[in-house]
Amino acid sequence: MKHLNLIFASLIFSVALISCKKEKTEIAGTKPQKDSLAANQNPEVHKEMYGIYYGYFSPEDNLNDGEYTEEDMVKKISIKINKITKDSVYGQSVLNGNQRTFRGVLNENTNSFVLDEPGDDKTDGRFDVKMKGDSLVGSWTAFNQSAVRVKHKTLKLEKKEFVYNPNFMLDKDTDVVDWTSHKTKKVSYGKNDDGTEESYETDQQRYATDAIFKINASKQKLTEKDLKNLPKLDMEIIKNAIFARHGYSFKKETFRQFFNQSAWYVPVSNNVDAELSPLEKENAALLNRFIKYAEDHYDTFGR
Amino acid sequence: MLGFIRSRNFILKIIVAIVFIYFFGLMLRITLDYVPISSNVSFLMIKQTEVTSRPEYLPIFYAHVYSSIFALMAGFIAVFFDKNLKYLHQFSGRVYVFTTLLFSSLSGIYIGVFANGGWIAKVSFVILGILWFYTTYRSFTEIRKRNIQQHKFWMWRSYALALSAITLRMWKVILVYLFHPNPMDVYQIIAWLGWVPNFLLVDYLIKKQKR
Repeated sequence: MKHLNLIFASLIFSVALISCKKEKTEIAGTKPQKDSLAANQNPEVHKEMYGIYYGYFSPEDNLNDGEYTEEDMVKKISIKINKITKDSVYGQSVLNGNQRTFRGVLNENTNSFVLDEPGDDKTDGRFDVKMKGDSLVGSWTAFNQSAVRVKHKTLKLEKKEFVYNPNFMLDKDTDVVDWTSHKTKKVSYGKNDDGTEESYETDQQRYATDAIFKINASKQKLTEKDLKNLPKLDMEIIKNAIFARHGYSFKKETFRQFFNQSAWYVPVSNNVDAELSPLEKENAALLNRFIKYAEDHYDTFGR
Repeated sequence: MLGFIRSRNFILKIIVAIVFIYFFGLMLRITLDYVPISSNVSFLMIKQTEVTSRPEYLPIFYAHVYSSIFALMAGFIAVFFDKNLKYLHQFSGRVYVFTTLLFSSLSGIYIGVFANGGWIAKVSFVILGILWFYTTYRSFTEIRKRNIQQHKFWMWRSYALALSAITLRMWKVILVYLFHPNPMDVYQIIAWLGWVPNFLLVDYLIKKQKR
């Protein structure tokens, strides 16, 4: 009797096991079917609109409240449309290193989109944009009107092709002055008659040298010798040119200022680490070491 | 009159000692960056070509860093107490001569050969190392012959060169503050500015003493 029970139990167990397995395979089997079904129900439309739109993102009206913060600045935004179906549009917006996915709808009669960012960030909002030829124009409204100072912005974007090309170099006409950061320095006029010192304060801008147009960290293996005589800003730009070529959207204004001057620069992502070639990774590590050294030692008592 | 001169010298000596202790503190802090031994810390961050391709570079570099801080202190004590505290003078003098001749100057010549800043800097550092060795050695032989004045003058020269460790870094801070040159441009300048004025100044002082 005991044996019979055991046999019975193991039988039930094995049946359960088999059926369980079957269920799993069944699910796996039906999944692609379901997907294709969904695809049939929601065929992709307007594939010609897919792509990256890049351009100006400006505060709609001057608030004139005496304040001028980062929010008031004209920025450059990328809108990437990945998929359009009858009832949904999928994509993402990338602004100063902040990448947000959006979902929305397309009105096929007017070629206009309503796109909503997720809403869990205080700077999320809704885009109301219209496709006109190859450009995307319209406005943006913050969801949370009390969280941001600039509640409305306008967009004027052009369709851009993003391609990675290791040969891309900064445009030769790039302004080499770093306008985004400066040091104030006291300059003395000399001594007055009464012995007090006369001085005025002046802004000291950093500027990059010619090296930023010559050294390509995506193509050549850099050596310590190549970098030793470069100022920190040069090395930062040479390093970040790697990331710019991969479409990295910079959080730091300095690099946006430099790379926005080159037509090939299209920021499409806030993380491109996986795209880097082994050579680029090696060079970036070397550059990081030299940048750190320059930071710690350039103007201090030491070597 | 004698009392006035003595008190003025005394105050001068106090000031010299305070200034030295301040800069020695800075040098000590730089040295402590290299504790514990690491192959890619501080200055070595930009010396990985040598560190990885020359197995002897790292030990010689560390011999230079660790020995020189003792030479700097021992040399100062020996020069500072040149007339009084005879025992302290002799002891610190022996430490200075021993560490300089055996470790600091020779390792300095070696790392000078691989110095940053191209041949302009390399030539300077190698000459500095050779002169440092030679002046220290001469000072040592003069005292063995009990030739105290010559011993003193050679030791002044030797220690003026040793102080280039401090003056070189001072010049760097000044030049970078004033002109923001590229790192290796300033390096080529301080390579010479670090020790040549020291050497000329001490030569002037020696000539003045001889008269």
